[in-house]
Amino acid sequence: MITVTINGKEIRLEKPVTVLEAARSAGIKIPTLCYHEQLEKYGGCRLCLVEVEKMPRLQTACTLMAADGMVVRTETEAIADVRRGVLEFLLINHPLDCPYCDKAGECELQDLVEKYGPTTGRFKEKKRKVPESLEDPVLVRNMERCVVCTRCVRMCEGVQGAAAIGVINRGGHSHIEPFSGGRFDCEYCGNCVSACPVGAIMSRLHRHSYRPWQLVSETVTICPYCGVGCTLVAQVRDDVIKRVVPRIGTPVNNGLLCSRGRFGYEFVGSKERLITPLIKKNGVLEQSTWEEAIGFVARRLGEIKSKFGSDAIAGIASPRCTNEDNYVFQKFMRVVLGTNNIDSTARTGYAGAQAFLENIFGQGATANLIPGLVNADAVLIAGGDPTAVNPILGLQIRSCARKGGNILTIGHVKGVRHYSPTELKPGIHAETALLEGIVTALRERKGLPGSIQALESKIKEIHRPADDTARTCGVTEKALASFVEALSTASTPAVVIGKEVIQSAGGSYNLLLLSAISYLVNARIHLLSERANEQGVVDMGCAPDLLPGSRPLSYVEFRRRYEAAWKVPLPEKPGMTIFDMIDAAKAGSLRALYVMGENPVFNLPNAKGVEAALRGLELLVVQDIFMTETARMADVVFPALSWAEREGTFTNMERRLQILRKAVNREGMEDWRIVAEISGNMGVKMHFSSAEDIFAEITRVSPLHRDLSYEEIAKSGIYPYKGEPLRGVTGDIKIEKTTAGDGGGLFLGVERPLFHSGTLSRRAPGLVKIYETAVARISPATAAARSLKEGDVVRVSSAVGSLELPVAIDLSVRDAVVMITNNFEGRGALSLMELVLEPILRAPIADKTAVTIEKVGR
Amino acid sequence: MFSEAAVREIQEIRAKYPTARAALLPAIYVAQREFGWLTPEAYEAVSDLLGVPKAIARGVGTFYAMYKQKPMGRHVVQLCTNVSCMILGAERLVDFLKSRFGLEPGGTTPDGRFSLVIMECIGACGTAPAMLVNDDFYENLTEKSIEDILGKYD
Ligand code: SF4
Ligand code: SF4
Ligand code: SF4
Ligand code: FES
Repeated sequence: MITVTINGKEIRLEKPVTVLEAARSAGIKIPTLCYHEQLEKYGGCRLCLVEVEKMPRLQTACTLMAADGMVVRTETEAIADVRRGVLEFLLINHPLDCPYCDKAGECELQDLVEKYGPTTGRFKEKKRKVPESLEDPVLVRNMERCVVCTRCVRMCEGVQGAAAIGVINRGGHSHIEPFSGGRFDCEYCGNCVSACPVGAIMSRLHRHSYRPWQLVSETVTICPYCGVGCTLVAQVRDDVIKRVVPRIGTPVNNGLLCSRGRFGYEFVGSKERLITPLIKKNGVLEQSTWEEAIGFVARRLGEIKSKFGSDAIAGIASPRCTNEDNYVFQKFMRVVLGTNNIDSTARTGYAGAQAFLENIFGQGATANLIPGLVNADAVLIAGGDPTAVNPILGLQIRSCARKGGNILTIGHVKGVRHYSPTELKPGIHAETALLEGIVTALRERKGLPGSIQALESKIKEIHRPADDTARTCGVTEKALASFVEALSTASTPAVVIGKEVIQSAGGSYNLLLLSAISYLVNARIHLLSERANEQGVVDMGCAPDLLPGSRPLSYVEFRRRYEAAWKVPLPEKPGMTIFDMIDAAKAGSLRALYVMGENPVFNLPNAKGVEAALRGLELLVVQDIFMTETARMADVVFPALSWAEREGTFTNMERRLQILRKAVNREGMEDWRIVAEISGNMGVKMHFSSAEDIFAEITRVSPLHRDLSYEEIAKSGIYPYKGEPLRGVTGDIKIEKTTAGDGGGLFLGVERPLFHSGTLSRRAPGLVKIYETAVARISPATAAARSLKEGDVVRVSSAVGSLELPVAIDLSVRDAVVMITNNFEGRGALSLMELVLEPILRAPIADKTAVTIEKVGR
Repeated sequence: MFSEAAVREIQEIRAKYPTARAALLPAIYVAQREFGWLTPEAYEAVSDLLGVPKAIARGVGTFYAMYKQKPMGRHVVQLCTNVSCMILGAERLVDFLKSRFGLEPGGTTPDGRFSLVIMECIGACGTAPAMLVNDDFYENLTEKSIEDILGKYD
């Protein structure tokens, strides 16, 4: 126990802390500028100087450790004098343009000068001039205001791990610059904006359109973009979100955000938002009224159901909608329309992979704490770049590396390249062989633990010696050995699985191999998730074979339970997957499709094929916030409220339930309300008055969510099943192996960029300005072999489509692959992909689409 | 790109220091020698070799006056104009360099032969005025001796 006296107050400390922290814990304020609780100590600004008895000079409280018996004074005349002096120096070069600066009102320098500062300065020379930089789409840099506290630099390097900026020059000329001196060209996380105490680095969005004190309403909610589920604070003036900031202490992201979360909110106020319901008349979508549109859909669905039967109707739910929306939607499909034909785009990888893994390890196998990654001593990454797909999770991997953890990657993972990863880069389609080699070596080293028999019997069949692995995969035996060494000696390893290994030929076998690795080294598994509520849409039973709570429809007891709760018999037959629906539409057996918050014409492989299939429907209903590719084809379009305009819950990839709160007002209906209205119109009243009402029903019927409430979740977000596996292992593990790699030729790859997320980010101008247009990304070798230069326009063609795109040459792309994003209108990678499903996971195979490229211009 | 010899040299430098960052200063010197001045490529090359982020490498490089942040002439004249040198006529020498060679402080002659850097004391107060031409030291300078000395560099 350490006891210190600060300003006459005795403070007892349990563990060693700095004088500053000791003072804060006792409610004593010491002014600071370069100190930031998330950053390494620096001791640069000298504002926190305090008097310590028996120490000759003033000491910096932020770096001085409190020692037993210390007597400290924080506010004496001598200290005030020094602080005034320090501030006078800082103001020598400060432009004092507060009336014009967006930071004024929450500027730490302004506050300090107001409290301690000199009212006049004695410095008569000219101030330094550094022009304001507007080169970046989302950031403004005004280096005349910089006080060189280096908080931004320490944030960017030590926390974000991008190390994009540094202190440039010396003395009075020093300020902060990215390497280029111009554009940041960084990860645009904006965490430096949070760190900067003054107006030197600020958000460019809504610049000069608010004062901090005018942001009168603040809403703590959850990010709409990816499965990490970061908490963010939307700050609002006049019903417009002016900025989004993180908050220290929230679960998962704790004071940090990525570019999408921080700068991607502008879609909410987009002028392109749908306003009124639309009905197609004579082939044209025309404005209509809610009453007419709801009545129309209810009548048509009723007609189709009675004429062609329940199974002629299907629904597509949304990993962007809340649990409540999805629950109501699946209930409507099952109870009112009488079909299990309900699914979502979680089917394109996440759902199948999770089911596969849970079948081996039990429910909750992938529900592992994201911040726990920091404490892993080895992280194996396979199938994607976590720092782009789930950026905040990616940061935890970087922190892990910083603390000495081994980062092991299958393939090149750009976002961790500065963290000395041990990389194994197999040739195209050789991942499977490589994983086999790793499993073989691990089994030989570690032996079988003897706990999961079904998995062990599969592991015993795997045999690929190191020399063969090295030869087949184009890696060295030495690299393989050190990879295996790092894995097998780890005591708290983690395995991070991305979509690329799932969406591959033999995806189920790849997952088996990754399961085997996880099992042999006892690793926690993290399954990357691209959509905010991808886990929730599955857990709500928006799947053809699952009921809410992720319970198999085939279990009679579960079905009975829901029948009792909903007071109707439920269809026993599993419904169609999203891909079956497209096939059925094509074949003519599906007559009506109801799409809530999804864009299958863009987000499913083979866009043209999907579009053609949907054209044959008698009724296509789309609920969305924008006129999407799918909405354009619809017979009826309902405008939904967006993420920021309503309440509900999301379930993140850790399976943590978190509450979304309303940030701005807008007329209209939530997705669930539209569905409930249609249901009512069809004669089945759903008595929900709020999202919370729906949640109450969910907690009554879903065993996964039993006994929860918004109140309880609001405390910090919660695990539905409190970490206890609910459903055991069902035994048999089904897999499908593939044939060996194909030689030669080019294959399509789906790029998953940090700055985009499906079609939502298209309407976020900040993000679009960072990553403006679709490109065909190829490796320098691919470019050289075809004499292509950066910026050349090429036609990329596959069996099902072609796109004309400018070439971007990228060192991180593999030689046999052309990477294209699936974000930009009319230029999505999935439009080139043939729809071939992996038979076990029932996810599309993405890595076998052969493409050709030819130059068509410059 | 670095020559193979430079790569080896930097690797040897790196081996002498406990952290990559500590090796930055000597490594930047090598880069400066290889690239002529600290071009963005020079910093990138150092950053790649040492595994130090390039923004940080540039930050370190711009801190020190001895590194060249812009292209320089073939020969760099570093003339001191601090107290002793000033008293003994260094400012006249500056004017002389301007009129005789067209060489301005901080500037480079149009033919790219010389650059002039004004120094704050090179520790030769006893034999002022003094200057360095590249790594060669000259003292007790006069207009005449400067002309002769510079004549040896082309
Ligand atoms: S936005 Fe993020 S990556 Fe870019 S400079 Fe700031 S902290 Fe670094
Ligand atoms: S830009 Fe801001 S955070 Fe960075 S050093 Fe300057 S004042 Fe500090
Ligand atoms: S990591 Fe995901 S949830 Fe977090 S801010 Fe970024 S997009 Fe949003
Ligand atoms: S806060 Fe202590 S020196 Fe800056």
